[in-house]
Amino acid sequence: MMSISQILINSLLLGSQLGLLALGLTMTYSILGFANFAHGELAVVGAYLTFFLCVSFKLNFFTSTIIAVVLSGAVAVLCDRLIFKKLREAPVLALIIASLGLSLLLRYIISAIWGPDPLSFSLGLAIPYRVMGAFITSTQIVILGVALATMVFFHILLHKTKMGKAMRALADDRALAQDRGIAVEKTIVWVWFICGCFAGLAGVLMAWETALWPELGFNIIIPVFCAAILGGVGNVYGAVIGAFLIGFVENVGLALDWSKVIGLLGISTWDAPLFIPTEYKTAISFLILVFVLIFLPTGIMGSEKGH
Amino acid sequence: MEFYDIFVYFATMIGIYSILSLSLNLQYGFGGLVNFGLVAFFATGAYTGALLAVNDVPFLLGIVAAGMVSALLGFIVALPTSKLSVSYWAICTLGIGEVVRLFLLNEEWLTKGSFGIAGIPRPWEDFWGDTYYSFFYLFFVWFFVGLAYLLIWRLSNSPFGRILKAVREEDDLALAMGKPVFIAKLKTMALGASMAGIAGALYAYYITYISPSDFTPMITFLVWSMVIIGGKGNILGSIAGATIIVVFYNSTRYLKDFLDFPAETLASLRMVAIGLLIILTVLYKPDGILKEKEKRYPLD
Amino acid sequence: MIESMLQVRDIHKQFGGIKALNGFSFQVVKGSIVGLIGPNGSGKSTLFNIISGFLKADSGQVLFKNRNITGRPPYKIAQSGLVRSFQISKAPEKMTVLENMLLACDQQIGETVLQGLFKIKSICKQEQMNLKRAFFYLDFVGIKHLANEYAANLSGGQRKLLSLARILIREPEMVLLDEPTAGVNPTLTKKFMSFLKKLRDEQGKTFLIVEHDMNFIRTVCDRVFVLDAGELLAKGTPEQIQKDENVLAAYLGRRALQKRTIKS
Repeated sequence: MMSISQILINSLLLGSQLGLLALGLTMTYSILGFANFAHGELAVVGAYLTFFLCVSFKLNFFTSTIIAVVLSGAVAVLCDRLIFKKLREAPVLALIIASLGLSLLLRYIISAIWGPDPLSFSLGLAIPYRVMGAFITSTQIVILGVALATMVFFHILLHKTKMGKAMRALADDRALAQDRGIAVEKTIVWVWFICGCFAGLAGVLMAWETALWPELGFNIIIPVFCAAILGGVGNVYGAVIGAFLIGFVENVGLALDWSKVIGLLGISTWDAPLFIPTEYKTAISFLILVFVLIFLPTGIMGSEKGH
Repeated sequence: MEFYDIFVYFATMIGIYSILSLSLNLQYGFGGLVNFGLVAFFATGAYTGALLAVNDVPFLLGIVAAGMVSALLGFIVALPTSKLSVSYWAICTLGIGEVVRLFLLNEEWLTKGSFGIAGIPRPWEDFWGDTYYSFFYLFFVWFFVGLAYLLIWRLSNSPFGRILKAVREEDDLALAMGKPVFIAKLKTMALGASMAGIAGALYAYYITYISPSDFTPMITFLVWSMVIIGGKGNILGSIAGATIIVVFYNSTRYLKDFLDFPAETLASLRMVAIGLLIILTVLYKPDGILKEKEKRYPLD
Repeated sequence: MIESMLQVRDIHKQFGGIKALNGFSFQVVKGSIVGLIGPNGSGKSTLFNIISGFLKADSGQVLFKNRNITGRPPYKIAQSGLVRSFQISKAPEKMTVLENMLLACDQQIGETVLQGLFKIKSICKQEQMNLKRAFFYLDFVGIKHLANEYAANLSGGQRKLLSLARILIREPEMVLLDEPTAGVNPTLTKKFMSFLKKLRDEQGKTFLIVEHDMNFIRTVCDRVFVLDAGELLAKGTPEQIQKDENVLAAYLGRRALQKRTIKS
């Protein structure tokens, strides 16, 4: 069985990446009132733009990432202006379907240009380090660092800037925010921009750690939804905590020898070791989500809009 | 002869997808239930039908069983999710679709995993012989399309259909008017699921080889675009939508002879087009190309 | 004979840190029109939701015709003869006025899948009968000419009338009305008042009405209960209530402090 420290490290990695995505998702979900199914694709956009800049313009990885992240934010804003803005008064389902169409659009434009096969950033081999009996590579350390730094940055943004306060007010109660004179549409633009940037960044980090392929965004969307809902829609801290929780549970769930758990609980004796196949990874977070939705509709940390 | 084969193939697939489209229209168009995991019911029906046929169970029984197993799944899915908001329903059902696919992929003892089930026998193949078989099967599929059509038409014009119409928009009102909303939703999900399951069995019997990769969320999204574009709440619209999408989706396969793009790029571009079509429909023609029929009574 | 129609006993309901109802009890006698008033946020809508089954109380009981209906699902409560309206009248936009009325009819054949598919003849007969009744009630409230109009095209006042017609076609024994005259013009309000009195006098129907319009309360109600911060503040006839010092203080004091609208 995997060591606890390895599980922890894997959980932190997954959690930090999910966290960046969940942050953006929970904000757009609470402010615009719908679950954005194209959110994962923003991550893919960021990753592929970075790749494009690296490969075609021969820019270094760091610069490419910065530019790609900003462009991802721009793409998100564009999508809002062209599509979601026109649906401000439409029923939630219309928004969801539109986001579905958008997700197909983005994913397959990327697939058409770069093909469906996985690509890699080819940044050379990562140096593995040993921490408390577990392995972590230099790449992973940077990923973790960047993700955590971004979250801290977001916290500062939310509390120390005027725009951040406006965003929080908007997330809490749109009508009230409007009454208080907050420029709703302008704030929404900023929310989408940040959402796009964070998603793009998460995409780059995920692609860096594994690989880029067009399905990258869609694969991750269920755990991201889970994290956002778990933490309570609109609650950014909840989203981050939810993300780490999901990361942890997914890794623990896979690493655990369930035959021992069954034995411990006294349900029955199971002689052979029992592991959940890795392919069921998403199923774990999904099952947690269903459990939470039935018993804790406002999430673990609570939110105004639980139902 | 070749053109005839292509036509029959298209028509048969349109038939199968029409049933899927009708099943989703029942759940969403009439019932307002957002099912993003439709492919799960399609797959369940296909695998049930296939496994039974491979084990020499009579085909009609296989189809009925496919419908029932899918209905059971639909019922189970609806139990926790019926009381949730639209977004949550969507996410939940999407997840369920994926869980089913993962199950099909992993439980090799039952489903042969990624190898899939091959050599599914065709119903009454010997009886009809090679020349007439595809023609027979076309009618066989469309017989079920007709059944589905009748079923939804009857239900939508009945008091049950009225409850669904109200539940679509105003749950609370239906409750206040003494209607068992939750139970109605359960029934609708189960019924829609069984239709999708039957479509699955028909698909398995036609294609004769199925594997988990046939049942990705893409199928769900394609059927959604059929219902959205064809018109929700309009039964003919579901068939129209199925026709449009199936023809479009498959015709690019033949277009590559005319267009100078690699097949892969063309495959991606057609999905881009479908995504764009969905967005445009939601923005500019939210009711689809065929609107829901109005219900007017004569004023005595 | 004084028969109790509705009894509410010691209802408590808390939302997060706010106590919406704090041990509220009252009774409605058959064939009376009872008003429920109180400042915004006093718990009126919460009470309505609890009585009609849309919300579960933390503790306490609700009895309808001396039978315990606490915690029963809302559709069952509606079926047993206690029907409510909504503050913002709800009408599915894609349904016509007639369809709304047909929907409202109680316990129809064909409301299950099997019946809907196979009992075609019985359903037909039933529809004919219900259509007749629908026209009757639409005529009673005066919107018969709008029968084939989509509910979405109705004005606010017409929607309220539809709401009333829908409730009436169910032939309920008791009706809960949530601010029936909010946003309604004075002529229509007068109509409403005469409807209610007619229904009480001629058919012995019982009403519990949440209202802010004091004129309405005075004209129509036999008895009034005043709710403030989840508790019973005063009870009596409209005249008695109007003179009650506590009631006046509650309204004046509350209005000054009231800043946020509460959607309950």
